[in-house]
Parts: sequence; C-alpha cells; structure tokens
Amino acid sequence: MSGRQERRLVWDKARTRELFYHLREYDDEESRDELIAMYLNLVKYLASRFRNRGEPIDDLVQVGTIGLIKAIDRFDVSRDVEFTTYATPTIIGELKRYFRDKGWAVKVPRRLQELSFRVNQSVDYLTQQMQRSPTIQEIAGHLGVTPEEVLEAFETSEAYNFVSLESDRGNEGGDSFSILEYIGKDDQLMGVIDDRTTLASAVRFLSPQEQRVLYLRFFQGLTQTEIANQLGISQMQVSRLLRKTLRSLREHIVMEEA
Amino acid sequence: MSTDRVTLIVPAHSEFARTVRMTAAELASRLGMSYDEVDDVRLAAEEAFVYVCECVEPSSDIRFAFTVGDGMLGIDVGPLETSGGPRGDAPAETYAEFILRSICDEFSIEREAGRCTLHLVRRAGARAGDDGA
Repeated sequence: MSGRQERRLVWDKARTRELFYHLREYDDEESRDELIAMYLNLVKYLASRFRNRGEPIDDLVQVGTIGLIKAIDRFDVSRDVEFTTYATPTIIGELKRYFRDKGWAVKVPRRLQELSFRVNQSVDYLTQQMQRSPTIQEIAGHLGVTPEEVLEAFETSEAYNFVSLESDRGNEGGDSFSILEYIGKDDQLMGVIDDRTTLASAVRFLSPQEQRVLYLRFFQGLTQTEIANQLGISQMQVSRLLRKTLRSLREHIVMEEA
Repeated sequence: MSTDRVTLIVPAHSEFARTVRMTAAELASRLGMSYDEVDDVRLAAEEAFVYVCECVEPSSDIRFAFTVGDGMLGIDVGPLETSGGPRGDAPAETYAEFILRSICDEFSIEREAGRCTLHLVRRAGARAGDDGA
C-alpha cells in the first residue's frame, strides 16, 4: 500500500465513538448506516488485498461489508480497543471464508445481506425475550419490515450458509459425537434405523456436529430453538446446519444408489 | 378461518426449489407459524420437491396443492405416474420418507389408479414427529 493510500485510511475517532453511543443507546439505525459508510473504505482496502484471486472486486467488497456489519454490531464500546483493530480481522475472516467455501453461489444485494443479518439477530433476541420461537410477523414488527422481507432474508441466508458453517466447525472442538453409538444404546431407535442401513452408512460421512444436530432434530424430535439452546449456537445456524446435513446425506445416499 | 387452496406448478428442475420453499414459507407465515415451524415447512417442501424430482422425467411439471386451513398447512405433491413415482423401497425414498415423517405432523403416500400423491400436513403449535417416524 502506498503512503498516499495510507493517509486516506484515517477515521474520525470522536465521531465513531459518538455514532456507537447513539447506536447502542437509542438503537439508531442512521448511526449504524453512517458507521457502515464511514468504514467502507477499510473494507475496500482489505478487499483489494484479495483482488488477484480471480474474483471481481465488487463481489469482494460485498463480502467484506458483511464482516464490517458484523463488527459494528458486535463491537464492545466499553473496551479500550479501536474499532478498526476490532473490525479488521472480522472483515478479513469473512473474505477468507469466501475463498475457502464455494458455497457462495448467489449475488445478493447489500440491502438483503444486511437484512439477513438483522433477522438472524432478531430471531435470537426475540427467542430469548419471549422464551419461544417468534413468528414471522413478530420478527417483521421488531425490525420494522414486512413479513415478505423477512422470508426473503431467510432465503438470502441460504446463499451465505458458509458464514455460519465455518464457525460451526470451529465450535466442534473435541466433539466426538456419533449418532450410531447413541442409536445403538437405544433399542427403540435401533428399530428405526435398522430398516435404513443406507441411511446408517451415509450418516458416517457427517461431522460429529452434523450428526448431533441430526440426532437431536430427527431422532429426539427437539425443535430448532431447543437444539440452539443445547448447542449454544443461533437458531439460524441450526437451520443452516440441518439443511447442509440433509443435503450431504442425500448426496451420499444417491451415490450409494448409483 | 376458511380453507383456501393455492396451486403451484413448477418444472422438475432443482432451481425451482426456491420457488417451492418461498411459497410454502409464505403460506406458513400467514398461519402465524413460528420461525421454527416455518423453517420446518420450507424444509419439508424442499425435501418433497427433491424427492419427487428424482422420480419423474426431467421434462415433467410437478404440482403442489397447498391447503391453508385453521392453523394447518396441507401440501399435496402430485399426482405422479406410479411407473416413475415412489415405490417405497429405494434408499433415497426411505430417507426422504424418514425426514418428511419427522418434520410433518402427517405424511402419507396415496396410491390410486396408477398414480400416487404425497400428502404432508404441518400444524401451527404442534410438535411434528411426536407420533414417531
């Protein structure tokens, strides 16, 4: 990076603090938008570091912006850390995931990317507040958007499934859960899977976390909210994980049939 | 609440899975279903669509008949020619049936006069799959 470019990458710290104050205190969307606009050049700079990898720079900026939005929403203003210090690894992480996972298949307008992220947060917040899964109307009301927009955001989140799945993998840690071991201990469940030997063999291809989610949802009959609570992840992450797990199962079953 | 019927006919191509999911989700949302339930409905509609796509000729159309009742969404998929429709013995079919039974309150395959129809029901506020897979 040239010295001239470096000089341009300077932000008004006092204004940043003021905007974060308004955002946290009054949930002020305008402050949030101003922060996004203010730090967009950080995204552009970081995205430019990946420009030789064959992807259009506009797409990279779009991906990096998701990282920026996450950083804005998660930044703890009480900590003695500059926002750029906090945001930079989040943005880079988002860009790296983009290249790691080719699940990125759909170009989604920025408005929808942001809405998808807000819906995700809203689902978690409302679930906690109401101690149950919120309806689409309740999520829409909380965000001041239409139910149709919320549904569209759910679909959008499909295009970004890698965002959560990468972090899901990070959460696996030393998890060695095996659905077949669990089922083997339960005579009733063994009866269920006995007739499904192809299913049993396809399950072996799943990661421990995928097996655990599959077991909890389809064998134990827990809801997504209950699974999210049990695993300490968001409801939307459970949704994405389930979908990915089912796709993976289906692929292995079709391969065995072929 | 009266019962309304919505019919959707889509080509048997995977890119129309979104159309099926969105329609199912919108109707579930109208019934005031929770996020969990709406997502189950999306999942069920997609599974049924993929399941049926594997059973029919690629040039076929697939008919979804949605019944929107009092706190209940019914989805009938078909009718399909049984020559190409589900037989209930192939692993992919067993798998699809297992998933659909788990996430729907009712799931059945009706066979009649050389044709078959998948019948799915999801109710708001019910815990799907309680009756066992």
